[in-house]
Amino acid sequence: MKSSYRLFLGLSVFYALLCFVYWFIGGEPLGVTALALSTGFAAIISFYLWFNDRRLGTLPSDNEEGEISDLAGELGFFSPHSWWPLVVALGACATGLGLVLGWWLTVIALGALFVGVIGFSLEYEKPGAPVEH
Amino acid sequence: MTTFAEPAITTTPTYAARPPKGQSKGRLFVKWITSTDHKTIGYLYLTTSFAWFLVAGILALLLRTELARPGMQFLSAEQYNQIFTMHGTIMLLMFATPLFVGFANVIMPLQIGAADVAFPRLNMLSYWLYLFGGLMAFGGFLAPGGAASFGWTAYAPLANSQYSPGIGGDLWVIGLAVSGLGTILGGVNFVTTIFTMRAPGMTMFRMSIFSWNVLLTSILVLLAFPPLAAALLGLESDRLFGSHLFDSANGGAMLWQHLFWFFGHPEVYILALPFFGIATEILPVFSRKPIFGYKGLIAATIGIAALSVSVWAHHMYASGQVLLSFFSFMTFLIGVPTGVKFFNWIGTMWGGAVTFETPMLFVMGFLVTFLFGGLTGIILASPPMDFAVSASYFVVAHFHYVLFGTVVFAMFGGFYFWWPKMTGHMLNERLGKVHFWTLFFGFHLTFLIQHWLGIKGMPRRYADYLATDGFTTMNMISTVGSFLLALSMIPFAINIWITRKSPKVTVDDPWGYGASLEWATSCPPPRHNFTSLPRIRSERPAFDLHYPHMAHEDGGH
Repeated sequence: MKSSYRLFLGLSVFYALLCFVYWFIGGEPLGVTALALSTGFAAIISFYLWFNDRRLGTLPSDNEEGEISDLAGELGFFSPHSWWPLVVALGACATGLGLVLGWWLTVIALGALFVGVIGFSLEYEKPGAPVEH
Repeated sequence: MTTFAEPAITTTPTYAARPPKGQSKGRLFVKWITSTDHKTIGYLYLTTSFAWFLVAGILALLLRTELARPGMQFLSAEQYNQIFTMHGTIMLLMFATPLFVGFANVIMPLQIGAADVAFPRLNMLSYWLYLFGGLMAFGGFLAPGGAASFGWTAYAPLANSQYSPGIGGDLWVIGLAVSGLGTILGGVNFVTTIFTMRAPGMTMFRMSIFSWNVLLTSILVLLAFPPLAAALLGLESDRLFGSHLFDSANGGAMLWQHLFWFFGHPEVYILALPFFGIATEILPVFSRKPIFGYKGLIAATIGIAALSVSVWAHHMYASGQVLLSFFSFMTFLIGVPTGVKFFNWIGTMWGGAVTFETPMLFVMGFLVTFLFGGLTGIILASPPMDFAVSASYFVVAHFHYVLFGTVVFAMFGGFYFWWPKMTGHMLNERLGKVHFWTLFFGFHLTFLIQHWLGIKGMPRRYADYLATDGFTTMNMISTVGSFLLALSMIPFAINIWITRKSPKVTVDDPWGYGASLEWATSCPPPRHNFTSLPRIRSERPAFDLHYPHMAHEDGGH
């Protein structure tokens, strides 16, 4: 992940520089704010990636001599299919539509969205099973 | 008696008539709408965005028909406003942006050797948000008063509830906010996938250029779409609750423009970069050479992504309230990495054994068209020249050259190139060439003339002009061109239809010189993409696999 965090670090430094130049030559406040936020955005991701890089060491995908067998075994869990994205999206859209058509719809849709988000997050959680790491 | 000579050998006919389990239409439908397979979701994205392309294309034909002659033909001024607003909105946010997500979904995990994207269900959620959001915005046409009519830029105060009443505008705002949320989630998904799911040995600097461009596009999505969401929600709060965020009295008009273009300019690169990536995938395959200057191309893409947040106010020169020198300098600067890319593309073809199959033809169309768009972009980057043609048809011609050149030409290039990978069938070459040439001439007939139309003074977004203005002939030519352009979709449709049952592609790489990993798996790929992965030692793993004696000769970086 070295190149990943360096990419974001580079972006962050560049945005910081831009932000300073823009502010220095008298740019309006919105641009300064937006560039400052962009700097922070890139810095946060860069920090997270750096942190993980230090914790995990070189991953097989970053190893120039990596072999496909390095990742042998279970690759991870992939959901085979799911209804929940549709439910969540319908809930989210109806919530937005309610703003236009009437609050009654928003109230109903927020309920649906709530159910959808819970279903989405807990779809593969088995009740009572020990938490896996 | 023959009647009795044939014993009943078939089993119960009820079962024989029914397709095997899992293949009935209903099951197939459920399989698609509950899918978490990145390829299926990618196909949903591609077909949906192509459908929007056709819808917005028909809207464009309505506009061109209205403009063919002086006088109002068959639209009212308000209808004209609604149609150009929705044409722009659909083309940018419901066709081109999701088209990127579609190609990225289908191709990128294959190219990095991943089994799926990092968050398969989030991927599907993005698609639904995009589809429903798009339908919501388009649904404005059914609303009393019609769809949004304030232009796709929705400038304040025109877009507030006083000047643009009616729920069509509200549906537009909410629809875009919802579909924008989908795009942001898609961006998160792609960045995570590229950082965490590459196959062993697939280091960042062995990734295909297309995957690099998907990564940087996704980063731009994360930078640009949240400001849009904020601006849209603010606008809706103005419209619904009477807040005064974008009230001209306290500088709201400029606030909107800054916010909108802080999204709007990176958005142009969100549309351009992935399609640059598609062109970069196609060029080396049909030049029989590795990419010229692989790292230079990546550096250029990073340069574009970094600079693209610093040029937003060049859309606002005419407001007279922005730092002309800063934005003009930055805009000229961003032309440099784009020039580097052209240099690399030409260097890739230089001295290669170039052949012009349909995908390569479309890439040539892209190079020519985008070059013109880039050149007029340099003109518009200079404030004194921009003032002369601002908000005229010159600008319309410029951005159609840029966006149509990249998005549509590269899209068709990508379709012809990856069609065997996606469907298992090759598209017909002859029809493909007919398609390309009608599209190419149709496009240039429509838009080249608009440069002069703009210089002569025809403003954009006007529903009508006078016979004495002297615009009639040029408008007529443009309209004829637009119909030729529309006709070019017919050979494409015929092509898809006649090749749907053509012999299956049996090899992994039907083009023969494929470089990236998607050419190392079957056509179409299995559910989790690869039955086996080759060892990855360069940015051309599939080429190394198929031509082991050539491996590392010129590729090993």
